Amino acid sequence: MNLTLTAQQARVEAERCLQCFDAPCEQACPTHIKIPKFISMIRNGNIIGAAEITKTSNALANVCGKICPEEIFCQSVCTRGKQDSPIQIRELHFFATQEEVKKGFSKTKPFPTLNKKVAVVGAGPSGLGCAFELSKYGYLVDVFDKGKPGGVPRNSIPAFRLADKELESDTKFLSKYFSLKKKTVDGKAFEQIQKLYNATFLAVGLGKDRPIGIPGEKMKGVLPVLQFLESAKANPKRMKLGKRVVIVGGGNVSLDAAATAKRLGAESVILVYRRSEKEMRVWKAELEEARKQGVEIRFLINPVAVVGKKKVEGVKCRHTKLRKQKDKSGRPIPVEVKGSEFIIDANNIIIAIGQSIAADWLEGVEREKGYIKVDENFRTSVDKIFAGGDMIAGEGTIVQSVAQGKHAAQAIHEFLSGKQEAASGI
Amino acid sequence: MEYKKFKEIEIYPARDLSYNFLGIQFENPFILAAAPSTDDLEMVRRGFQMGWAGAILKTTSVEGTKVDLCYPMMSAFEHEGRKLFGMGNIDLISEHHIDKVEYNVRMLKKEFPAKMVAASIMAGRKEDWQHLVERLEKAGVDLIECSFSCPQGNIGEDPGKMLAQSLSATELTARWVKEASKRVPISIKITPHVTDIVEVARAVKRSGCDALTASNSIQALMGIDIKTFAPTPSLDGKSTYSGMTGPAIKPITLRTIAEIARNVDIPIMGTGGASTWSDAVEFMSVGAGVVEFCTVVMHYGFRVIDDLNSGMSHYLDEMKFSSPKEIVGKALPNIVSHNELPRKRMRNHIHENLCIGCDLCYVACRDGGHNAIDQLENRIAHIDWERCVGCGLCKFVCPVDDCIEIMEWI
Repeated sequence: MNLTLTAQQARVEAERCLQCFDAPCEQACPTHIKIPKFISMIRNGNIIGAAEITKTSNALANVCGKICPEEIFCQSVCTRGKQDSPIQIRELHFFATQEEVKKGFSKTKPFPTLNKKVAVVGAGPSGLGCAFELSKYGYLVDVFDKGKPGGVPRNSIPAFRLADKELESDTKFLSKYFSLKKKTVDGKAFEQIQKLYNATFLAVGLGKDRPIGIPGEKMKGVLPVLQFLESAKANPKRMKLGKRVVIVGGGNVSLDAAATAKRLGAESVILVYRRSEKEMRVWKAELEEARKQGVEIRFLINPVAVVGKKKVEGVKCRHTKLRKQKDKSGRPIPVEVKGSEFIIDANNIIIAIGQSIAADWLEGVEREKGYIKVDENFRTSVDKIFAGGDMIAGEGTIVQSVAQGKHAAQAIHEFLSGKQEAASGI
Repeated sequence: MEYKKFKEIEIYPARDLSYNFLGIQFENPFILAAAPSTDDLEMVRRGFQMGWAGAILKTTSVEGTKVDLCYPMMSAFEHEGRKLFGMGNIDLISEHHIDKVEYNVRMLKKEFPAKMVAASIMAGRKEDWQHLVERLEKAGVDLIECSFSCPQGNIGEDPGKMLAQSLSATELTARWVKEASKRVPISIKITPHVTDIVEVARAVKRSGCDALTASNSIQALMGIDIKTFAPTPSLDGKSTYSGMTGPAIKPITLRTIAEIARNVDIPIMGTGGASTWSDAVEFMSVGAGVVEFCTVVMHYGFRVIDDLNSGMSHYLDEMKFSSPKEIVGKALPNIVSHNELPRKRMRNHIHENLCIGCDLCYVACRDGGHNAIDQLENRIAHIDWERCVGCGLCKFVCPVDDCIEIMEWI
């Protein structure tokens, strides 16, 4: 996992690619990187050309090259996989983009200039994806963010999965295509933005840990996952954990938290999930990695209360079993087994059961199931306001967010060039 | 969520690769060779739209010439897992009537005035050759290539069939063609199947023709089924010699071009085994002015032009060359005869930190070299410099890039 290929390994792997026509991998990539084309370039020794192909389609080419879960996108449909094993597409992609970083970014051609301004709120994957695409059309783009650009990849994806310098090989490249306004957007600022810009793209992500709603949740030692990951990344030395850590959740974020806890020195890290392994929404490679690091994963367990007086001493759980009936997510519903209480000792409990939108200045924009509601052109219920990324769909992958930003940019362009109505049907 | 595919906005500038060769402006050095890919108007159109600088339409002949094709006509030389290391064909010339070829030329020149549209011709009698030249010139071609060397369709029983194998016939026929042309350059497509390629090139030069196309496919027997003894491609158990193309013949073509360029002052259109931009650079460095492609297109499609253009552009940037033309002939001064080569004491050197312990170099040197490599206890190969002469064999059997280096022994 995350292997950096040598030039010879890259060439040999590239030679395995069948060069399918209208390739399934290219279809499966949300940003539709021209995969056979860049692989043929690697095999013919045109590595910089290969990097340019990936960057033409994906604004966060280095980030995705490092951590995109290819097993659910390109690589999962690789035709070569039907013959023997799929091509290591992501590794080839990362090899090419990192070679370009070493050599210096290829010069881009001058983009056209349109006398229209677009605001992008949030410098995460979808915001950056949208901003770059808009600047290709010629719009003047201002990106608002309270911190450095990068969003989730910068703030909460653990450094062992994505190093800052890898993220910055993208953000540095992108920085000259828009101006970054370091500013916390609130209700007043949002109003001003709407007045000053021809269109706005909202991409502020989620950012608020979802409470689990069990007694003792506020006790010292209970850590909401985002808060935990963000401080572990910002200040790993100051982050102190107890010996025994329990993580609650069944997604990739919970695995990141478990692996981080292990790296911070916790002796025992137990991840509890209320369904079985089959229902986990995680990337297999990450699950295996967490297990390899010694994370214990227990299934069919639901926490019911935090145990402790002033600080956490354990978590009381019940066993669950799965019903045949499925919930909206298409997975079987877990029900607690009566009388099955037991306690897992713990000094810290990390709650990783999902996130919701933190921004409280968006009252005017209609939501659906907690997320910002958009139509197929990424238009919200408010005129001239578009949205994408985690705000509209929940926690997604980086590549999906980039793709949404890119598609939203196209919709914004169509609207600003008069091909599309300002208001959506919402 | 579905992510609709839309046309990407290009963000990198396209480098100007255009230059003049034979009085024709080429958009880039990459031309489609006379082959099935250039036999159909739709196909050439698509090739042009995708960025090819020109095309030589599949060879045509006089009306009434019977083109008696048989199938299957294609075959492959599979080598160590690479299924199409070489491609064989027993195809003949275009089945289209010359009227149709003229129509294609007219349409293509009308739709793509900036592209090089050439015709390839083949005939027997003087008036046929000349008639073809006149008709195609009138139709608007930019260049005429004359196939003096298609190796398919004969098994050597009549040497005259491969025109370029006879010096006198080559010179005479080339003169006829040149005589008939009023406007466009003539290139004679030759074969490397001759005793002295330089003499053939001189014969073409004497004829007054403008260029050589070097060189045609290699006459080959593509394989034998060892159970049925049917040769490949098998037509009811029978076969004939194929013309082989593709990566397998590249070194042969490279030598052919170099040998002509070193001895005869005549422009060369390079073809035969080039698949990539770096192959094209090699062809040009030994004297080719443009490079024609066929097998790689038949394998992967016209789309390979994107990497040809991109790879060539990055190469020119890296080398600080202003035009592809600067490459032409760059390697020629370095090709010398054996007695002019430096005589130095050489040794191979193994970077032991890179050695993976396969000991292929050990066995190759023991049984095919100078028995100069020892196996250390940990399987790492070690060169005995007393016995090593620096022949270089070990470097090329080593599976690891840069593990073995050839250096001067001081």
